[in-house]
Amino acid sequence: MTDNPYAITTHSLTKRFGRLAALDRVSAHVPRGSIYGFMGPNGAGKTTFVHCLLNLIDPTSGTAAVLGHDVVRDSVAVRRRVGHVAALQPLWDWMKVREFAGFMAGCYPRWSQQTVSDILSRVGIDQNARIQTLSRGQRALVGLAVAIGHEPDVLLLDEALTGLDPIARREVLRNIIEAMHADGRTVLITGQDIADMERICDHIGFLVNGRLILESPLDDLKARVKRIGVEHARDAAFDLPAGALEIERSPRETLFTTTDFSDDLPTSLAGPGRRVEVRDLSLEDIFVQLAQSPTEAVR
Amino acid sequence: MLDGIDPKSAVPIYRQIADQLRRSVAAGLLAPGDRLPSVRELAGRLLVNPNTVAKVYRDLERDGLLETRRGDGTYISAHAAAMAEADRQRILAERLEAVARDVRAFGISNKAALGLFRDALTNRRRERGDSR
Repeated sequence: MTDNPYAITTHSLTKRFGRLAALDRVSAHVPRGSIYGFMGPNGAGKTTFVHCLLNLIDPTSGTAAVLGHDVVRDSVAVRRRVGHVAALQPLWDWMKVREFAGFMAGCYPRWSQQTVSDILSRVGIDQNARIQTLSRGQRALVGLAVAIGHEPDVLLLDEALTGLDPIARREVLRNIIEAMHADGRTVLITGQDIADMERICDHIGFLVNGRLILESPLDDLKARVKRIGVEHARDAAFDLPAGALEIERSPRETLFTTTDFSDDLPTSLAGPGRRVEVRDLSLEDIFVQLAQSPTEAVR
Repeated sequence: MLDGIDPKSAVPIYRQIADQLRRSVAAGLLAPGDRLPSVRELAGRLLVNPNTVAKVYRDLERDGLLETRRGDGTYISAHAAAMAEADRQRILAERLEAVARDVRAFGISNKAALGLFRDALTNRRRERGDSR
């Protein structure tokens, strides 16, 4: 179990609500020590996935394991080692921050009030303040501080950045970075803001309509998915490689996207009177192109 | 030294950070013996994944630009000055290549392009007020 390089694995995880498959045979692999961005449009199934990991709902079929513990059979063991922050977490509004932290401390056998206090004092939140008097950004920070009070090995952040103003968001991002730097802690963060994800994540899973259409280290993804431009003589015939996406043809130039780039590709496309240009794509471009394409999972 | 990164750019964050460090050394903003922030500090400041910063440090150390003194942090290495000259030329060559691509695409002649480049150098010299 200790050799397992993954903190979270799911195997064909499926959750149906009536006829709707909120999760459709999702097999995800979240490496230990990574910040894994679980992304996708609204309604893609991201929160359902997190709720399955926490065993707040039972999967219809398939399995999920966190740190080697099956989430259904060993849900108590899982919750002890997992911290969870949700966007609209019901913090007890009438409580003081200190009371809320104390209440949460009672839920776990192990608790470090020092960790919680350090974060709160670093971000300038008074522990005697009532939660209802805090801004949305401050509440997010309280949620994060308290979620790591039991020093979890895995942190699940469900839309933790959604709806925050830019300043609060930077502060939350900074604290996520600080929090994950503890030895081997793994962070799974769901959200839609691609720029935020691109900043802090090293692995990306992309969920569309309950299906994980892509899972990859971010670097690999950017190295493999490229936009290729080939300039050629007017109306010259020329063969596109298999799997070319988003093809745009104009008389003197053909553009396409490949999900399988290697250095051999430009060489194989070059020829007399042709010039090949390779362009990097931003994560946003990559998602837009993959979400539109009918291809199966890119791994 | 590092003026923030642009997550929306198509240039991977890893490369943005590495390039900025190289450019800072090439431009003399960082000199041999200067100490760099810790991985955690820089990740927090740039708001990027600490694994990414660690990888940049590791790779630049392998290339000889940085050196890690055990338990004492990461420094610009003594070889960095020699590397800086090569880097200056490489950085310039890369930019000129991009410009050259535009020159071809716009169908401008070599002579006209060189004339424009000469003008740019002349203007820049006037701005700086030096007579080299």
